[in-house]
Amino acid sequence: MTSESAHPADDPHRLLSSTRDLVRQVRKTQRATWFPLLVFAAVTFGAIPVYEAGGHRMGACVAMSGGRVCSAAYTAGLVYWPIALVLAYVAIAAFYIRRSQARGVGSRVRPFVIAGIVLALVATGAALWALHHPLVSGQGVWLARLARPSCAIGLALLVLAWVERNRALVVLALGYLAVLLVPITFGWVLRGWTFLPQFLIDGSILLLGGIGFALAQRPWRRAA
Amino acid sequence: MISHPANGLDDVVHQRVRLGILTVAHEARRVEFSYLRDTLGVTAGNLSQHLGVLENAELIAIEKGYAGKRARTWITLTKAGRAALAEEIAHLKLLISRVEHTGPTPGS
Repeated sequence: MTSESAHPADDPHRLLSSTRDLVRQVRKTQRATWFPLLVFAAVTFGAIPVYEAGGHRMGACVAMSGGRVCSAAYTAGLVYWPIALVLAYVAIAAFYIRRSQARGVGSRVRPFVIAGIVLALVATGAALWALHHPLVSGQGVWLARLARPSCAIGLALLVLAWVERNRALVVLALGYLAVLLVPITFGWVLRGWTFLPQFLIDGSILLLGGIGFALAQRPWRRAA
Repeated sequence: MISHPANGLDDVVHQRVRLGILTVAHEARRVEFSYLRDTLGVTAGNLSQHLGVLENAELIAIEKGYAGKRARTWITLTKAGRAALAEEIAHLKLLISRVEHTGPTPGS
């Protein structure tokens, strides 16, 4: 054992730098960022026909100076998002487990899946609450934006970025959240399709992010 | 009297392959034997020896099982292993900073 410790490869500089290389290598093997992004993109695009078919429902109203303000929600969305997101997280967990068994290296995906499911349920609860408590102040509108299912996805992506120690995903998730929180209008609205521009933008960011990560994390790049 | 950081190095951990095993096991929730063998670039026999040393020191736990029909050996880091790894890294950093701070000895 003493002779092993005297090996030149055991000098502190080399040991520390090989440790850092190993950490980088393991993290690269563990990352599969593209898969959750593509799943979330599919879930977001999938919401479009559901919203279109489901219609919307008026909630509670409050009297304001000069009239009334009523809350409204797409009823199908209240059912669609919790189911679709929970199924998405189950699929993502199954994918990561299968992948870790195939590659021989585990990944800590559990915090991401748990946080994601909790956030999805909180967002649904907030949407139900807002239906009966119209948010009229500026802060209220901002909170309503923060409690959207798409925001729950963005926050869950930040958890994934922490789990995967993935700085590029931090940037993407923050950019995605910024787009969600900033109101976007194109000056045109298709009657009954007010949700369409936001879903198209949200889904496209996730889709493009997923494609980008898939290209960056493809196996033959790792071997190179 | 101030102890030299090299005195704090644990012979069980202060070795390239064994430190590599602990590092990989720390990053992954658990790691498979063949992944360690390929990543560390050692033979199966050599890896088994090092795993035995770490298991005897209770720094890792070894679990054997099957994935389909294939026999698999999974390695997980114990609490003691996590502490030993953190201590080794701290000692290595201390040693490097001391060498860089004092500079090379005359005649070296």
